[in-house]
Amino acid sequence: MTSPQLSNYLVSNRKRLALSQKEVAFLLGNKGGAKVSRYERFDREPSLETALALEVIFQRSASELFSGLYQKVEQEVIERAKTLASRTDQGNPKRQIFTNIANKSLN
Amino acid sequence: MNTLHPNEFRVLAIAPVTRGFGFAVLEGQDTLVNWGVKVVSGKGNKNAKILPKAEELITHYQPGVLVLEDASAKGSLRRPRIQRLVPQITKVAKASNVNVTLFSRDQVTKILFPDGQWTKHTLAEVVARQFPEQLGSKLPPKRTAAMREHYQMGIFDAVALALALRLRKTKPDHSEAVH
Repeated sequence: MTSPQLSNYLVSNRKRLALSQKEVAFLLGNKGGAKVSRYERFDREPSLETALALEVIFQRSASELFSGLYQKVEQEVIERAKTLASRTDQGNPKRQIFTNIANKSLN
Repeated sequence: MNTLHPNEFRVLAIAPVTRGFGFAVLEGQDTLVNWGVKVVSGKGNKNAKILPKAEELITHYQPGVLVLEDASAKGSLRRPRIQRLVPQITKVAKASNVNVTLFSRDQVTKILFPDGQWTKHTLAEVVARQFPEQLGSKLPPKRTAAMREHYQMGIFDAVALALALRLRKTKPDHSEAVH
């Protein structure tokens, strides 16, 4: 079994600050801790607004908090950039832009 | 310290206690991802109640390695129930293709206390110093003869097991039971 990055690291950050799920839920503007629990169990992905609120609460970037998800999204974008680069003519300056995006993982 | 094998990136350690088990999830050399105590209540077969909770953690974290205490090691004072539980958890882990490493208490303390001087409390202190932000506030008070062991001590035992895996020498002790 491999061990890639977890989808998110909300539990560790919440416990680091000794916050309860209910307290995080209140800070997010939710009534109970059920949604927070679902985020922590990877059963549900938060909205962009919630992700940004979590960034404020935990003082960690969203890409750090959701590093597994970030890696997945990054890989998908890289693949699409490769496709676009291959479809773009050699002389077209956009080709370099797509290539740079595709090479981001190598930087 | 040995080089980290990619399959050992995430480690789950489980330390059975009277009321359930303490657990810790460590990523890389020193990132504590989760920790806590899973408590089982009520009468009946405790191990049967513990196993689904252990399985849940294994499924959720998909660790490269599961670390457990070798409760059957020579000199172990663990109760027969826990001696039976360890192979049961091992079986669950192996069914999920997770490697299992067993450390005896003696092996853990030799790694964390090379001078041989340790108590359960100093072990917890060492662990708390390693992760002050996460565990500093959870360090139980020093136990007296009249006190029961604090239920959160299981967390420190579990983190100690995970640290033992990380800190073991490049040449592993041949007496270590690796499954």
